[in-house]
Amino acid sequence: MSPDQLIKMTVLVVFSVNAVLAAVLILLKVVHRRRMRRHNLRRQRYLGVLSRHLSFENCTDPITESMAEDPAFLDALIDMRSAITGDEVSTLRTIVNRHGVIDRQISHLDSSFPLGRRLRAAVALAEIGDETAAGALMRHLEDREPEIRIQCGRGLGRIQWTPAIDQIVWRFSAEIPWVRARFSDTLTGFGPKATWPLLAYIRINHKHESKGPALAIRTLGQIQDHQAVGPLLEILEEADDLEIEIAAIEALGELGSPQALPKLHVLLDSTRWELRARAATALAGLGDPSTIPHMTTLLRDENWWVRRSSAAAIARIPGGVATLYEALDDEDPFAADAAAEALTDVGELVTARRRAETQETAEEPLLAHMSGGK
Amino acid sequence: MYEIMRWLGYGTIVYFILMQAYLVILAMLSGAALRRNHHLRRYGRVGEMLSSRTTPPISIVIPAYNEEAGIVDSVRSMSIVKYPRFEIVITNDGSKDRTLEALIEAFGLEKVRIPYRPDLECAPVRGIYRGRSGVDITVIDKENAGRADALNAGINAARHPYVLCTDADVVLDPDCLVNSMQRVVEDRDRTVGVGGNVRPLNGSRVDLGHLIEASVPRELIPRMQILEYLRTFLASRPGWSWMNALPIVSGAFGIWKKSVLVEVGGFSRGHLGEDMDLTMRVHRHHLDNKIPYRIVYEPAAVIWTEVPESTRVLKRQRIRWHRGLMTSARDFLSMTFNPRYRQVGLVSWGGFFLFEYLAPIIEFIGWFVIPIAWLTGALNGSSLLWMLGIAFGMGLMNSLVALLLDESYGYFNSPTDTSRLVVMAVIENFGLRQVTVLWRIRALIGGKETRSWGNMERRGVANLAKG
Repeated sequence: MSPDQLIKMTVLVVFSVNAVLAAVLILLKVVHRRRMRRHNLRRQRYLGVLSRHLSFENCTDPITESMAEDPAFLDALIDMRSAITGDEVSTLRTIVNRHGVIDRQISHLDSSFPLGRRLRAAVALAEIGDETAAGALMRHLEDREPEIRIQCGRGLGRIQWTPAIDQIVWRFSAEIPWVRARFSDTLTGFGPKATWPLLAYIRINHKHESKGPALAIRTLGQIQDHQAVGPLLEILEEADDLEIEIAAIEALGELGSPQALPKLHVLLDSTRWELRARAATALAGLGDPSTIPHMTTLLRDENWWVRRSSAAAIARIPGGVATLYEALDDEDPFAADAAAEALTDVGELVTARRRAETQETAEEPLLAHMSGGK
Repeated sequence: MYEIMRWLGYGTIVYFILMQAYLVILAMLSGAALRRNHHLRRYGRVGEMLSSRTTPPISIVIPAYNEEAGIVDSVRSMSIVKYPRFEIVITNDGSKDRTLEALIEAFGLEKVRIPYRPDLECAPVRGIYRGRSGVDITVIDKENAGRADALNAGINAARHPYVLCTDADVVLDPDCLVNSMQRVVEDRDRTVGVGGNVRPLNGSRVDLGHLIEASVPRELIPRMQILEYLRTFLASRPGWSWMNALPIVSGAFGIWKKSVLVEVGGFSRGHLGEDMDLTMRVHRHHLDNKIPYRIVYEPAAVIWTEVPESTRVLKRQRIRWHRGLMTSARDFLSMTFNPRYRQVGLVSWGGFFLFEYLAPIIEFIGWFVIPIAWLTGALNGSSLLWMLGIAFGMGLMNSLVALLLDESYGYFNSPTDTSRLVVMAVIENFGLRQVTVLWRIRALIGGKETRSWGNMERRGVANLAKG
């Protein structure tokens, strides 16, 4: 083929492709609009059918095999599941189980269909949350697609399928951060049932990795099971990884147990500023006014983050606001600034100014501070 | 001479064919990346991040200069964005109008004295204002020194580990933060920047700072820009992002890790392309120091912005953009086609240099060389036409692919809108594109006119509500 012929051929191909693209584009717009309209109509119809089945035990409205295959039916099912609670959820499960919807979605999930279809099946199974799907959901906790793993974890959490806890916890080390974060949410949903598996995982792994165990520790903080306080204190004692230590301090703060008080007090004097700042924040979670004098010394800390964290923590403890007012007159301007910021954050500085202005009672240091002078 | 003209003529045309081929390949890559994203967006559960304690908080930093007309509506629209923990930091960049007073009145702000750490260099701060009107708002009032300086001041005052740098005159999609921050949560250690999908607002219906209905405007100039934005944000950036070689995170929507901004010195003051400059400096910093990182683009993080409606304002904007590109081309010359900077130096920045920076020069030369070469017989008339046909056809293909990719977002609901854009993809090649080349050539020549930001002359989000 000569260069001239090649050029002409290229032009022909390029313009043919363009013509096809333009036609597809317009056609797609028209078809897509019509398809979406029909999809939404079917979705509404299915919602009606499901509502009638939920309301009347002997409802004879058919749920056919083709309906159960329809994506609009799955969307309606997901909508319905989000709108109901209690006994209605188990009734819905019985209805969909009776019509083979769960089995069909399991087979879709197991298939080699494209991502969209498999993901839809995983979401539907997670929303339905029926025990018959637990096996499939467990299998797919190791699916190649991260989003499917997340949905399977979510579904197992919804069923409260306790055998899944170990498997989810032990995947912490292998997972990408996004999935790990979602698994953490799932485990929080399991509540105290996840405490000991998480502790076992942390104990075994915290010496040689940080990401997974740190998130596991934070998950314990979210679960709010006070049984974790003792083991967390031990882990904090043993740990030599900063991320693990920070996570443990934050979790202890979330748990808010007085048992952690002595250790957190010691950490206020740590040589590492990260630990001092976190310990102050954690102590605010405990809300013990006896900690205020010790924390007040941190307002003069050399590190600004420690000053800011301790001031914010003092503001959260009963009686702390009065201490911060006093700190506005501190001879260390950095301590006064930290106190002013914390008071601003809790709305006290502005409130005090208004009060001072309306009652015409001069709160000299405070007003001077707010107007920029000192 | 005859031979030179012949080679120059064919060289110019081959350059344009190569440029369009590069863009079409990029569009294909973007298509593959978006296809996957489409499924995850439809069935994934990003919304779970809203109730998760693992979701990192973010500071929204907005520079404002003479934005009295729209700033309050804009901040109100931003304050109801779906995200669990965020603050809004507005920098009043020495406005000459009542921007600061409007904010104080609307949000009940009070002047406070709180610590302000100038980690990044910026003009003197005159005062800090805070309010407790249900929205966590901080206003930094400072002397005028330009957008980059105002952003730096806002970043200094930001209290969260991630900052969204945006503009005062944009409409944020309610899900834009959660969609973009998902990319951060995916890989918090490596993700240092996330870019969003900027779309023209002109022609669309806006109410109380919210987009009600998107549609294609009747005017040709904003319509042409819709096509340009679609090509850029849907047919290029997803592909670059997939390669971790995004050469620019748009100034209208860019999320950055605050610690990284401090490490690289923040935005360059007085730079006309400060967003590109920052993105490239972040790339260079990480690649030079061999620090693992990624800068990603999230097409589902959508924000809407007003684009110029008159040729006068568009000309000023394009000259400014090209001046910014010229400065960056000079500043990052050592990265261009340098294998040390891997895909950034070789593919994205290299491509940018070759097909964005040099394009107006080569096209301008082509306007003279090709006709002369044809008249002198150095170029065969028939071959010339066919080759121009290839270049034009591939350019059209790039636009059509961008429109096709936009279908998965479904913002333009009616087939009429799509048809208008298809027609625009054809007619923009006859006149409009050539005019933008002239403006970019004007930028190359320089002069006082090309060295300032100038006024955008926006109608403002508040006024669009009436439109």
